[in-house]
Amino acid sequence: MMKPIRQLAGPACLALGLALATLPAAAQARDALTLCQTLEPPILDPSGGAAAAIREVTYGNIFEGLVAYDRDGKVVPALAREWSTSADGLVWQFRLRPAQFHDGSAVTAADVKFSFERAVAPDSKNAQKWIFEPIASIATPAPDLVEITLKSFTADFLEGLAMGDATIFSAASVGKAATEPVGTGPYRFMRWQRGDRLLLERNDSWWGPKPALKSVTFRFISDPQAQVSALLAGDCDAHTNLGAHEAVAQLRADPRLAVTIGRTEGETIVAINNAKAPFSDLRVRQAMAMAVDRRLVNEGAVSGLGTPIGSHFSPNHPAYLDLTAERLVDLARARALLAAAGYPNGFATTLRLPPPAYARRSGEIVAAMLGQIGIRATIEPLEWPQWLERVFRNKDFDMTIVAHVEPLDVNIYTRDSYYFGYQSPLVKEAYARTKTARSEAERREAFRTIQRQITEDQVNLFLFMLPKITVARKGLAGLWPNWPVPANPLAELRWE
Amino acid sequence: MNPAWRHPSFGVGALLMALVLGAALLSLVWTPHDPTAMRIMARLRPPSAEHWLGTDQFGRDIASMVLVGARNALLVGLVAVGIGLVFGVALGMLAALYRGRLLDEAVMRSLDFVFAFPAVLTAILILTWFGPGLVNAVVAIGIFNIPVFARQARAATLQVLAQDYIRAARLAGLSRAAVMRRHILPNITGLMIVQGSTQFAFAILAEASLSYLGIGTQPPNPSWGRMLNDAQTYLAAAPHLALVPGFAIAITVLAFNLLGDGLRDLLDPRMKER
Repeated sequence: MMKPIRQLAGPACLALGLALATLPAAAQARDALTLCQTLEPPILDPSGGAAAAIREVTYGNIFEGLVAYDRDGKVVPALAREWSTSADGLVWQFRLRPAQFHDGSAVTAADVKFSFERAVAPDSKNAQKWIFEPIASIATPAPDLVEITLKSFTADFLEGLAMGDATIFSAASVGKAATEPVGTGPYRFMRWQRGDRLLLERNDSWWGPKPALKSVTFRFISDPQAQVSALLAGDCDAHTNLGAHEAVAQLRADPRLAVTIGRTEGETIVAINNAKAPFSDLRVRQAMAMAVDRRLVNEGAVSGLGTPIGSHFSPNHPAYLDLTAERLVDLARARALLAAAGYPNGFATTLRLPPPAYARRSGEIVAAMLGQIGIRATIEPLEWPQWLERVFRNKDFDMTIVAHVEPLDVNIYTRDSYYFGYQSPLVKEAYARTKTARSEAERREAFRTIQRQITEDQVNLFLFMLPKITVARKGLAGLWPNWPVPANPLAELRWE
Repeated sequence: MNPAWRHPSFGVGALLMALVLGAALLSLVWTPHDPTAMRIMARLRPPSAEHWLGTDQFGRDIASMVLVGARNALLVGLVAVGIGLVFGVALGMLAALYRGRLLDEAVMRSLDFVFAFPAVLTAILILTWFGPGLVNAVVAIGIFNIPVFARQARAATLQVLAQDYIRAARLAGLSRAAVMRRHILPNITGLMIVQGSTQFAFAILAEASLSYLGIGTQPPNPSWGRMLNDAQTYLAAAPHLALVPGFAIAITVLAFNLLGDGLRDLLDPRMKER
């Protein structure tokens, strides 16, 4: 009689064990989510620093602006229900929708005035002050009406307001924004265990349609291999941008996971010190461009998942011009150009690389490719603080590799003191036109002029757009495939 | 058969050592492929007839890289141990000669100071300060070998100095320098060789660690440590990338440690009597 019971006991225990093992996942299935991302935000105040991780957590979740970017990069209403501009484009009127901060206070026009004036104040740490600089005055004729008068016509004013840096705060709670943020968004801040995770809870008094997920945990995992392990183990329901490009094939083969390859706004370039010989000679820069095969760099550095680019402009933008066919690889012509510039035997130079894997890997490949035309580049790896100090601030470099991740950041080619030392009246004039253009077509044409010019001048070597690799458990819908701005609006997510 | 070969540690150590040395020498004249040539479209290939140990993340031939890496490792060990041996033995003998006096104290205490720091940690400090690179790495590792040899040399020298024949030599009119050269140096050489082989293994490991951390040998020069570092992110997709350099480091370190063990026994006069 004992035997059958024993035989039963084994499978029964096993079944119980399985039930226990699957319990957390089942409980999580409907309204909870663990979303993993690579970097932890240093603070949570989106108006207080340049780190993209801040807005990856807060944008459209804890905080909102008057307007927002949607997943296609279009500007859509947020706290402003609607808006209008005067005929000369100088006066903007924003009508606010009825909305509340997480502490229960109502969002008023005074909060908007306060937030924008705070952003542009001399002691403000806002990373995108240019958004607010055109503002001449802000009036609040009614609690739900904001009237902004500009100093001069600014074509990208509204786009600026859609960025995470133009968040609306209340004066009462802004002091705690860095660590205990109080916003207006669909999720309220609950708890932050530094170095590990951050908990958000659905804000049931949000103005929009009720989000499907009740509680969301952001987890921060910087090591690429650990990211893969966490996904395979089920510790993460999704990773917003996987660092381990080489693991994509393995993750794709996993029936539980869905992998989406999208684009960020990160133009990865070999930045060249244009102010320094021999790089001040256009022929040298052209020769370099003809030696570097960006398609192979893309393959070797990010497993071919990036999008090759021929200029400093994102293919996500409607004004994008595909210039990848300019200066195709031609080693014979490259050598001839170098010889014409006075370097028949090439020259020795340095390539200073910041820490990310995309930079270090691209660097090895670019150095090998330049070696084919006699440019002997010594690789010098740097840590971020060193890189920022030596390369970015002191311009003490020949070449470097870095991704410029801000959206529509082509304005860096108009800054005289910028690290790659490029100056072009033509580009400056065209960029001014993008600000004053009265029609979208005119504005796009100005952007195209800039793209053509910086490719013509071969300011830098343009490699590829950094990919966004979204990996999620099957059944999770609504994650952004691309990053027009680095953001993960949780209200759009649901389990199917 | 020579009894030395019958000593198990020495025999196996010498055999492995010959293997590594052979690989390093071979790489001077021949490698299956150019170890720095990239074939990006043929990256992460498993071992095949064309690429015996497969290709790495840039399509470079791993077999060729490992061969050249052996040269790199031996060179690092040789130079680092050389630095330690020359300066360490000189300082150690000097200290022994002036035993108990200010010079002895000054030399030995400052070497104690160096010795007190963890070697790899301080090498990282030095490399951060002077910039990463193979030359700086070798010098940093070499500096940490100095106190090791100096202590041994001082102790051994003192032992020899106490012998009657040294006093006889001095009485016979031999200068201090001549005593050092003719009597002391030959007597402590065996001990230094044993220490050298152990430090050789340490130096190779240290260089691998520093290169693994990205501050040792810089690309495109192949280094086992850096190969390991590169392989780390491909561990799931291409494990052979990590296995090959890991195995190479293990074999080389084992070779020198066994060799050191064997030499210690063989050079010990008491062992000879048995």
